[in-house]
Amino acid sequence: MKKRFLTIVAGCLMLASCQKLDIPPVDILTDDQIFGSEAGINAYLAQVYRKLPIEDFTYRPDGRNDGVGNVGFNLHHEWEHFYCEAAADGEMVGPYGGVDIAGGFGYWPYKDIRDVNYFIETLPTYAKNFTADKVTSLMGEAHFLRAYYYFALAKRYGGIPIIKYVQNYPEQTIEELQVPRNTEEEVWNFIGEDLDTAYQMCGETSVAERANKYVAMALKSRAMVYAGSIARYGSQTFVDGDARSQGLVGISADKAAGYYQKAIDAAKTLEGHYSLYRAKGDKTENYVNIFLDSKSPENILIRSFFAGEPERNHSFDATYSPNSDMNYMTAGGLSRTYPTLEFVQHFDSFDFVTNADGTPRRYNSQAEMAQGLEPRLRGTVYFPGDVLRGVPFDVQAGIYPSFSGTAADEVAKPTGTRSFILSGDHTTLRNGRLIIGKAGMYPPAFGNDNNTRTGFYVRKYIDPTKGISAVNLFTSTTPWIELRYAEVLLNRAEADIELNQTADALKCINDLRDRAGASLATAADMTVATYRNERAKELAFENHYWWDIKRWRIADQLLNNTHFHGLMPYYVESENKYIFLKELELFNRNYYFDKKFYYEQIPGGELATNPNLYPNNPGY
Amino acid sequence: MKLKSFKILSLGVSLLFFASSCVKMDTYTGPDASLTGNVIEDGSKNNVQTCSGNFSIRLEQLSWDSTPAPQDIPVKYDGSYQNTKIFSGHYRVSIHGGAFWPVAPEEMDISSGTVHDFKLTPYLTISDFNAEMTDSTTLRLTYSLDAPVAGIPKILEVQPYLNTTQIVGPGASIYDFSDLNKIAVNKDWADFNDADKNGEIIVSNLIPGRIFYVRVGVKFDNNDKSSNLSNVIKITVPGK
Repeated sequence: MKKRFLTIVAGCLMLASCQKLDIPPVDILTDDQIFGSEAGINAYLAQVYRKLPIEDFTYRPDGRNDGVGNVGFNLHHEWEHFYCEAAADGEMVGPYGGVDIAGGFGYWPYKDIRDVNYFIETLPTYAKNFTADKVTSLMGEAHFLRAYYYFALAKRYGGIPIIKYVQNYPEQTIEELQVPRNTEEEVWNFIGEDLDTAYQMCGETSVAERANKYVAMALKSRAMVYAGSIARYGSQTFVDGDARSQGLVGISADKAAGYYQKAIDAAKTLEGHYSLYRAKGDKTENYVNIFLDSKSPENILIRSFFAGEPERNHSFDATYSPNSDMNYMTAGGLSRTYPTLEFVQHFDSFDFVTNADGTPRRYNSQAEMAQGLEPRLRGTVYFPGDVLRGVPFDVQAGIYPSFSGTAADEVAKPTGTRSFILSGDHTTLRNGRLIIGKAGMYPPAFGNDNNTRTGFYVRKYIDPTKGISAVNLFTSTTPWIELRYAEVLLNRAEADIELNQTADALKCINDLRDRAGASLATAADMTVATYRNERAKELAFENHYWWDIKRWRIADQLLNNTHFHGLMPYYVESENKYIFLKELELFNRNYYFDKKFYYEQIPGGELATNPNLYPNNPGY
Repeated sequence: MKLKSFKILSLGVSLLFFASSCVKMDTYTGPDASLTGNVIEDGSKNNVQTCSGNFSIRLEQLSWDSTPAPQDIPVKYDGSYQNTKIFSGHYRVSIHGGAFWPVAPEEMDISSGTVHDFKLTPYLTISDFNAEMTDSTTLRLTYSLDAPVAGIPKILEVQPYLNTTQIVGPGASIYDFSDLNKIAVNKDWADFNDADKNGEIIVSNLIPGRIFYVRVGVKFDNNDKSSNLSNVIKITVPGK
């Protein structure tokens, strides 16, 4: 009874204290706090940049859910970086069973776009807290950020609703909030307009992680070649359907030239402000350092990573080096994704590994094979015999006691009838020599893919200065370069070639080729095939190729029940020589790209809440 | 009131609420309707030659919503289809995918035991399909192509499909015998000469003693890159 009395007294006291209800909450930031100072603004924009759909090391194109609300982008505690676009688009083979990323993951960031729209609507009412220039440049930056989100949507879905204002419920009715899709053309134009606004309003310079006016133009050059190629090539290869006949996907072919010209104009604004990285004398070393030197004049926009915070560092170094279980090149982690022979053949046919009579050429060492290849390729891929952290990429696939005949005949033999000697581990010796190299392949029967399946490893973005003990999960802080000047030159060259402006294209391509240590091109080389090949080489593994082969509408030809190959080194015991055979990659997986994958389907959950999003994209 | 009896009373009351919340039964009918039928070739009146995963019958239930989520019934390799767990109602029924001249979607009421056949005209018919062993491990396939209606999509490739079961076709075949013997055509029907129309494919290095089911397919550059297929022939590779 006494207890109940006390409860009543306490309740009465509580009621009495509730007179003043309308007080500022202490657990959320208010507009006054955010827009009252530059520190507040920076904190607000930091979370917008953090959520920006940058396809960096941690991006999962098939959309893993990290359990704290992120899917695909900006994952918490993500380390499996071998689940990347390059592992599904033919640049590499990896853990995916094929083109497993084509369905996307229902990316639909209108909540994040709302944050940007809120910023654009609210900042002007707090303009008195800042100089006029500061307000202008912040507004420009917000338009860049909004364009970035819409770019990520347009390249996935084509036309989606353009929402430029903050939606409010229940102030607006459900019908008002169910905004229908805009046409694909309207969306790309909107992206271009927002980036033009950013160009006019942003400052000349910024910290490397934030936008200035040239960052906006770099993104515009990218977006406009996307739009141009969708107009030109999407009019030739497409899937019929209601969404297409209504213009929700696809752009009429006569619009292509206009977009390409916009790409050129945007790219040219960066001239004199950014340049290709040429700090090192050795071309291979120079190419490697583009991705490691924070002072590179080529960097336009980067995303930084920080030590000690699991969600703000990454594991790239530990997840692209071999044989983690033996601590061969790393102290932890494991690798699962490897460049294909088809990828390195963008640079060279590799026919030189076979003599004119069809017999495999004999080499004194594994390393001898890659001598004389283009320095850019050597800086992109680790070849057999290369050395990292003091240990070699010994990728020997087996030992032939002796070898006679041609390479083609040997490879065509049915499985199990070839005479080379195999081992299921990296320790078994034959006459004092390892049968399978320490970084070499497991036979498929052992089913392990933490060593190469093709003979190659990734070198781009790998930091060679770290010792083995320092390479582990969540220890890498190499920044991701989201926009670099090489891409802007490639955007410009692509648009030039599409518009027959050969001289300007040649200038851009040769700037890149000179830096790469490649042979220079001539005006006659300025073809569609050349710009596509150059782009595949320069931007390899940087999450461009997947979108490129989609917007060029060639993915369904390149990934047409395709099986990829490797270049396997064998030791020939009787001759004390090495030979290299072009063979199917060990898992022999099938890659098939359905034409409907040129657009992802509108997420089912969104269709359910907004019927105005119908019709869905063709083929779904 | 004693605390113990208060507890018991509370438990009783909450159980009463719990039980009474269950009296409203779901009175909707279950998926008691069905749709079965055959997909028939318009000219020959035979079931079309197809394969699992090649094309499907698409159902959109219009009873409740003008923009329903579609459900697909795959057409089986013998050209029949069935789904016996459908909700009764008014549906739009259409063909989803496949290398056929398009047919307009039909609206119909589906209830228990509904049967509906589709008549389709394939882009190409593959006739006179013949398979013979020319030596102990080499198979020679011959076929004739004919387009009943002009103006078909571009032909991408012709290829044999071999499998160890009679379910054989694109998506169900042995890569080394099937995809590696693919003939890249990449031209329009108007550019086909007599040799193209009466083709021959050699499949070599078959495994002695095995039984294979084999057919030929022609793949088009249409929306879903689908194929017209020949009938299936069973061949026995002689043992060693």
